[in-house]
Parts: sequence; structure tokens; C-alpha cells
Amino acid sequence: MTRIIVMTSGKGGVGKSTCTANLGMALAQRNQRVAVVDADFGLRNLDLLLGLENRIVYTALDVLAGDCTVEKALVKDKRQPTLGLLAAAQNRNKEAITPSQMKELVAGLAPSNDFILIDCPAGIEMGFQNAIAPAKEAIVVTTPEISAVRDADRVIGLLEANDVKFTKLLINRIKPKMVQEDQMMSVRDVLDILAVPLLGVVPDDERVIVSSNRGEPLVLDKQLSLAGVAFNNVARRLLGEEVPLIDLNATHDDLFSRLRRFFRG
Amino acid sequence: MASDDSAAVTDSAIDPSTDTPIDASTPAPEVSAPEPSTPTEPPQPVPPIDPRTQLRLRNEGDHLVLLMPNGPQSEAEGGALVWGELLQHFKQRLKVGEPFWQPNTVVHLAARDRLLDARQLQALEEVLAAAQLTLKRVVTSRRQTAIAAVTAGYSVDQLETVDTLVQSPPAPGKPLAEPLYLQTTVRSGVEIRHPGTIIVLGDVNPGSSLVAEGDILVWGRLRGIAHAGFGGDRDRYIMALQMQPTQLRLADLVARAPDSPSADYLPEVAYVGNNGIRIAQAQAFARQNFDATLGQGAQPTDGF
Repeated sequence: MTRIIVMTSGKGGVGKSTCTANLGMALAQRNQRVAVVDADFGLRNLDLLLGLENRIVYTALDVLAGDCTVEKALVKDKRQPTLGLLAAAQNRNKEAITPSQMKELVAGLAPSNDFILIDCPAGIEMGFQNAIAPAKEAIVVTTPEISAVRDADRVIGLLEANDVKFTKLLINRIKPKMVQEDQMMSVRDVLDILAVPLLGVVPDDERVIVSSNRGEPLVLDKQLSLAGVAFNNVARRLLGEEVPLIDLNATHDDLFSRLRRFFRG
Repeated sequence: MASDDSAAVTDSAIDPSTDTPIDASTPAPEVSAPEPSTPTEPPQPVPPIDPRTQLRLRNEGDHLVLLMPNGPQSEAEGGALVWGELLQHFKQRLKVGEPFWQPNTVVHLAARDRLLDARQLQALEEVLAAAQLTLKRVVTSRRQTAIAAVTAGYSVDQLETVDTLVQSPPAPGKPLAEPLYLQTTVRSGVEIRHPGTIIVLGDVNPGSSLVAEGDILVWGRLRGIAHAGFGGDRDRYIMALQMQPTQLRLADLVARAPDSPSADYLPEVAYVGNNGIRIAQAQAFARQNFDATLGQGAQPTDGF
């Protein structure tokens, strides 16, 4: 049974594509056959994050036009051969494709994959409708900012209305130090508003930027960063393992911050 | 004050620290000091949202009637919801509302003067089918809609061109619709309008709005916009377990939330007092207003 998961957020820039790339890679490392589908027609960049840009020959539109099979259009990753990318067309916009065509594409990928991750574009317009059409599950990515959380709330409502039944939350770019000093929404604050099951928490990490620029997802690093560990944990949770959240406070939990917290109550 | 707006709009900031004292020695509901209106912030006129601009179902005995909203049909014509949004709202509402029908109940569509094509009718049928309802009959006053409906295989009643009486809002004194019971988190972007009382079992998140001609009861946190007594009835209440609204509206009055949220919340009731919208703790308010032994408006003495 293929699991078809859409990664969405509403707001742009919260890390949907980064999460998709890392999660896809982490799942592939666990011997899952994974296809990541870029649904961001006209503004594709999942290929960049995976470092597969120069290997794209066919895009999703070529498949729909009947110029090649979906298997042929799938770009296999050399580092993890069980990971494939179906690229979006860059020279068209979101209206170039319909929800039913998107379903058709994903149906073509389903028999030969265990996971299909769809990278949804920002916004709630046509591109969003296309991306969620084939999905059975959703991962809503948000950052602990009020605007991102508000948009995530809207998106969760739309997912519910569009029969995407299993929605989970991934909180990205949290800064434990700022949370401790009460300058950032905590995980609990976010969950309080959104009221959906939590899939994982990924700390803010500068190495994410480096890895994006290089086209090497964090989870490939030999010396895993905290964010890399977090992505691995998310992948394990997706596979049904019970993994506790990593204690992000550990590095900042010195005597002073403890005292400060004690006095704040 | 908006000059062309006939309805009086007061801007009264709600401040739970003064409006709802935790101190038990002042249990009167009229606890708030008169609110000085802030001159820096012009009062906002109540936007023309009508609870009758959403699709809704009405029980007609052996079948249900799906009422299309009247009025302008496109954004260009005056801001009514476009078809896609109309259907989206209806879908959301069907999903979270308590069904009051048996499976396979027949639905008659009262399309009024709305123009519907075959695709829209089919979309509507699919949405209804998902809620175990069957669309059988279409009542319309538009020829094109009638043709589309006949082609799709529904029985059709074509009315004469609608006279103005049908289109004007119903005369005052008409009973409200049965309460709408929702068991869900009302999320950002969702707007629920109902010509009766709305009861929500769950949180009402910021960015959402509830518009009711009757009361609004939220068994959860109210953080969005709530507008009770839409038709102009000032004797309506908004009640919530946690009152943290973006804005409260009662009939033609508007109040916004305090700038500094209070630390802990108790169930509260918003009502129209002498100087605009007031908030009282639910316990004190119920004692004052709903206890028959005290009678309406009786003031309990200290130590009562």
C-alpha cells in the first residue's frame, strides 16, 4: 500500500521543500522506495535541494503529453537509488495542469513506490489544489511564527474539507534558546492552536542553508547535525516507530537559564 | 463614524481586567466603566455580511430543501461569494455539522434566480452524495438553469421570474432557523453563517468568523470574530469558555479585544449593556439574568 503524502504549509519560506528533500532521503536510506514529486510548476526547486538539477530530462508535463513514461521521467538519485524525483516543468505555470492530471501522475508512480511525497507550492490556489488532489495524508510544515501558524490553520481546514484525512504537523526552524526566553512560540503554543498530531520538531540550523546550496540533504552528512537527527526521527515516526522528541533544550540548559525559568515560574 | 452608515457603531474596547473583576464582591453584570472611544482609531462600520449568503439546508418534512443564496452572484456585482467558495463553505459545514437527516434523504434545490450550469449542478450533487443526500428536484426561475437541470436528469420546476417579495429579506418576526450544531475546530478562513443560533463544540481559531442571527455559544476558545444578533437583535449573547476574540459584534455594535490578554480565562458572556458591548463572567451573568427566583435585573446585595 503506497503512502501518498503531501507536504504543505500555506505560507512560503517555512521549509516545505527542504523538509521534503530530507524526509525523502531519510526514508530512502531506510530501504523504502520513495518518489518525490515537485508540484511547484513554474517555480521548481526541489531538484536543486536534491542536487539533481542537471539530470532532469523529462518533466511531469512530458509524461502527461505522452512523450515518455512516468518511470522514465523519474530521476533516480545516485546516492540512494531507491529515491526518485519527478520534476515539475519550469517553463509553465500552475494552471498548466489539473487536479485529475496530478492524480493520474501519482497513480502511475504508486505501484513501484512505498512512499510518494508531493512538494506543494505556497498559497491555496490552483497549485495547492493540484498538489493535494492525489494525497491521502498530509504533513503540514510550519514555523513557530504567528503568520505561519495562521496559514497552517487555514490549510488544515482546507485539507479536512478536501478529504485528506490524516494530517500531521512538522514544526520547523524552532530556536530553543528563544523559546526559553519567551521570545518565540513554543511547540505547545503551536499545538494549542492547530490541534493536530505532532510528527516532529526540527531546530533552526545554519547548516540547512549550506546543504541546500550544495544540493546535499542534511541526512546524508556523516556527522549528523541536530536538524539531521530530527529529520531521521521524523522518517522513523512515519514508518511507525515510537521515537521520543529530541531534547532541544539540552545545549542551552545551563544554570542561568534554569534559574531564570525558576524565577519566571 | 461612517456618514452613510445608518447603523450606530460603537467601538468599545473590551478589557477583562475592568469588565470582569475576579473580585467576588462586585458581582453585578454591569461591571464595566463607560469606555472612552479612542479618537485615533476610527470605528469600523459593520461590513455587509448576511447569514443568508451561504448555502444551507432546511427540513421540509419528508425532504430537505437546499437554499441558494439570493443577491449578487459575482464579486463584481457586489461581493457575494463566488461559486467555488460557496461550495467550499457548504462542504465544510456538511462535514462538521450534526446531520439531521436519514441516509438517502431527497433534496430539492431551490436555485431561485441563480444561474447554474451542468458542471456546477454535478459538483453540487457530488457534495450532497458524500453526505448521503440525493438531489432530485431543482426549482428555479432561470431558463438556462432549468435547461441544465433537465439535461442532467433532475425534475424541474420553473417558476415565473421572481418578484421582489421573494428577494427581499424576510419580514421581521419570522422565527429563527433551528440551531446549527458544529463539532469541530473552526479554523482560519472558515466562515459560518446561520440564520439562527450557532453552537460550536471546539475552538474557534483566529481568522475565522461566526455570523448568527441568534446567539453564539462556543464550548472552547473563541479567538476569531463572532457576530451574534446579525438581524439587529441586541438581546443576543455570545458565550465562550475562553473569550479571546479578535472582535465581537452584537447586532450593530462592535468591540475589539483588549491589547493585553489576561492570564487566566473563565467562561464569559458578552451582551449589550448601557454603553455598548459588555462582558461578564458566566456565573455572575447567569445568576443575574437566567435565575427565575431573582427575576430579571434584580441586584444581589453584598454577601448574597
